[in-house]
Amino acid sequence: MKFQSQKIAYWFFASAMLLLVLQIVYGFIMGFARIGMDGLHEWIPFNTARAVHTNLLVVWLLLGFMGSAYFIIPEESDRELMWPKLAWVQLISFLIVGVVAVIGYHLNYWEGRKFLEIPRALDYLVVVNVLAFIANIGFTIWNGKRYTTTSIVLFFGLFTAALLYLPGMIDFDNQTLDSFYRWWVVHLWVEGVWELIMGALLCYLLIKLTGVDREVVEKWLYVIVGFTFLSGILGTGHHYYYIGAPKYWLMIGGIFSALEPLAFLGMAIYALAMAKKGGRRHPNKTALNWTLGSAIMSFVGAGFLGFAHTLPQVNMYTHGTLVTAMHGHMAFWGAYAMINLAMIAYALPILTGRKLWDNAASSYGFWLSNIGMVGMTGALAVAGITQVNLERRMGLDFLAVQTEIEIHFVGMILAACLFFLGICFYLYNFWRFGLPTDEAASSDVRAAEELPTVS
Amino acid sequence: MLTKLQAKVFFLGGTAVFFGIFLVLSFDTHLKVPNQTNAANITPAVAAGKRIWEENNCMGCHTLFGEGAYYAPELTKTVEIRGKDWLKVFLKDPEAMFPGQRKMVKYNFTEEQIDNTIAFLDWCGKVDLNGFPAKPPLRDKMMAAAPQMAVSSGPAPLKKPVPAVFTTGTCIGCHQIQGQGGAAGALIGAPPLDDVFRRYDRAKLEAWIKDPPSIKKDTKMPKLYGLAVNDAQLNEIVDYLLSLNPETAAATPSAVAPPAAPAPAVQPK
Ligand code: HEM
Ligand code: HEM
Ligand SMILES: [Fe+2]
Repeated sequence: MKFQSQKIAYWFFASAMLLLVLQIVYGFIMGFARIGMDGLHEWIPFNTARAVHTNLLVVWLLLGFMGSAYFIIPEESDRELMWPKLAWVQLISFLIVGVVAVIGYHLNYWEGRKFLEIPRALDYLVVVNVLAFIANIGFTIWNGKRYTTTSIVLFFGLFTAALLYLPGMIDFDNQTLDSFYRWWVVHLWVEGVWELIMGALLCYLLIKLTGVDREVVEKWLYVIVGFTFLSGILGTGHHYYYIGAPKYWLMIGGIFSALEPLAFLGMAIYALAMAKKGGRRHPNKTALNWTLGSAIMSFVGAGFLGFAHTLPQVNMYTHGTLVTAMHGHMAFWGAYAMINLAMIAYALPILTGRKLWDNAASSYGFWLSNIGMVGMTGALAVAGITQVNLERRMGLDFLAVQTEIEIHFVGMILAACLFFLGICFYLYNFWRFGLPTDEAASSDVRAAEELPTVS
Repeated sequence: MLTKLQAKVFFLGGTAVFFGIFLVLSFDTHLKVPNQTNAANITPAVAAGKRIWEENNCMGCHTLFGEGAYYAPELTKTVEIRGKDWLKVFLKDPEAMFPGQRKMVKYNFTEEQIDNTIAFLDWCGKVDLNGFPAKPPLRDKMMAAAPQMAVSSGPAPLKKPVPAVFTTGTCIGCHQIQGQGGAAGALIGAPPLDDVFRRYDRAKLEAWIKDPPSIKKDTKMPKLYGLAVNDAQLNEIVDYLLSLNPETAAATPSAVAPPAAPAPAVQPK
């Protein structure tokens, strides 16, 4: 750690990990409800569990992104953070808003729009909060000693993510328009600007972990995020096929969203190529595993499994079935959960000055959680395909089909246990690092992290 | 070889071009949606229904236009499938309709709230969704393969007007009677009622309607007695069903066949 103000990142990461655990707890509540064990229905009905599960996911990922930005931006700009105290205020207020929202979901206080359930009053607080964050890193970059592509792309991603939150706050009496603009947030986030954030974090990690020359790594970053927007913006059309929007979206959404996997494929090839070029000389093997893992799993989950149901002819039958949930899990995991876990694995030794980078617990954490997630996705895939065939193609009743596929949720829960065990190992390691220290700035961990550049 | 500057221009240029196209198309969509969705029919009741839909996060279990959660049925066409009367009764106490099944929250809506919710769903069902939800492409093939399962084996039904009580009592949403209704029933196994007099006598019919699970434990038929059917209506229903017997319109026929409780019209396996 070079700058004292980077320490704040630790607290963002720690909060993110706490929310990850809670997210998983609510995932289990839903999994059990699906096999008939819905004893909590009176207090936590399915819609509450679901809103908590998906919102905590988004919130912990955002906390991870913010923590990563607070870690990376000072280093890239070569100066202390502009307002370290503001970062603290921002963290605490963000958590308070999150906690209030989650409590509200248990009291039927919400907006009932998928992924944007946060009630309107709290939306405004989120906006103020994010403005503070953007200002803090923005001015740090502005007043910094150097401007790097990595920090510019990261900032651009975070800034546009904040901007795109706004269309989700427009009110309509028309359900179609409501949905139309809701996707400006949800789709343009995960298949647009968040990919910029992911790309920037990937780029930063590759520079640090492989030692390949910055110019080379950053050049390809532009190419990849170029592909992201080229396909992803018009790819929004894959959500407009069947919601009451004009028919031309079938053509436009179909073609452009079918190109979206290219950006993820690009990311996977890019990461593997850089790792090969630079060799694996960095001592933090765990961070490199998570980095490469994220590039690969995001291609599988978002690229491959997204493509599987993105053509309008297929989507007609899979739209709104468990096939979507199958894709949602692996895509979020591979692209955004794993890149955050990579960032955390990379940053912890530097923040705390401890050399715990490579050990048994960290390997178990990586492998068990990934194998578990593959199993969960597989179980959802079997359930989803069966549902599509029985309900959408043969016309059987919804609940009759749900009874038929219940058994796959037993499988999913088993895989989820494996997944959770992996996460526990990861967290155990997190805990063993202890708290960030002032001495970390001068510790020899930093020296060990410095690699000679490969060009 | 590609330089960093060229890569940067590719990124910025591509983004600007495609975002521009996206804005133009979105503008066009915004202009066309009112027509495609019959926005003129968004009455205050429909708008109020949408707010109820949101305030209770119905999307947290159901899908609408294929968007939402996958725990409970897709509702776009629910008014068409179930009928308004059925939905009215259902929304008062969802669990009473499907005992022992996956649970839905009981919201204690007022009559007006229920009407608004149904108005909203009715409007949704009429939006032009480019063909969604598709008619199940394999259903006809399966029906052709198993005709005896889908069609009642009774004698040619006697044409007799169906009394209103079958609509207010919501029976006709699931059961076919005299060739009418039955949209929702074919899927959960509710049989046509034209020849039910062959299987049930008066006492058994009454007992069944009063409490279906007491006769067949895992039946999907809701207990409507007390919700949508009172004693007088129960009498009217039973009278009518027995009157369909061509031989003894007045006498009480004895139960000849064992109680053929509803079985799924098409076995999933
Ligand atoms: C990291 C990137 C991605 C993430 C996190 C992600 C996540 C999700 C989630 C959570 C949904 C459910 C949304 C909802 O119904 O509200 C969804 C839907 C969808 N995704 Fe992705 N996705 C990603 C990338 C992709 C890509 C690259 C493609 C196409 C190649 C794709 C194709 C689709 C399609 C077609 C749907 C709609 C499913 C339906 O009709 O029900 N996704 N995605
Ligand atoms: C123990 C682990 C987990 C379990 C048991 C679990 C279970 C579930 C269930 C049952 C649903 C609801 C599907 C429905 O509507 O019927 C769901 C939704 C979702 N979960 Fe998980 N989950 C787990 C972990 C995760 C993780 C780690 C992520 C992300 C990295 C995640 C992301 C999502 C998303 C994005 C959705 C919404 C999907 C959609 O709308 O298509 N879950 N989860
Ligand atoms: Fe999308």
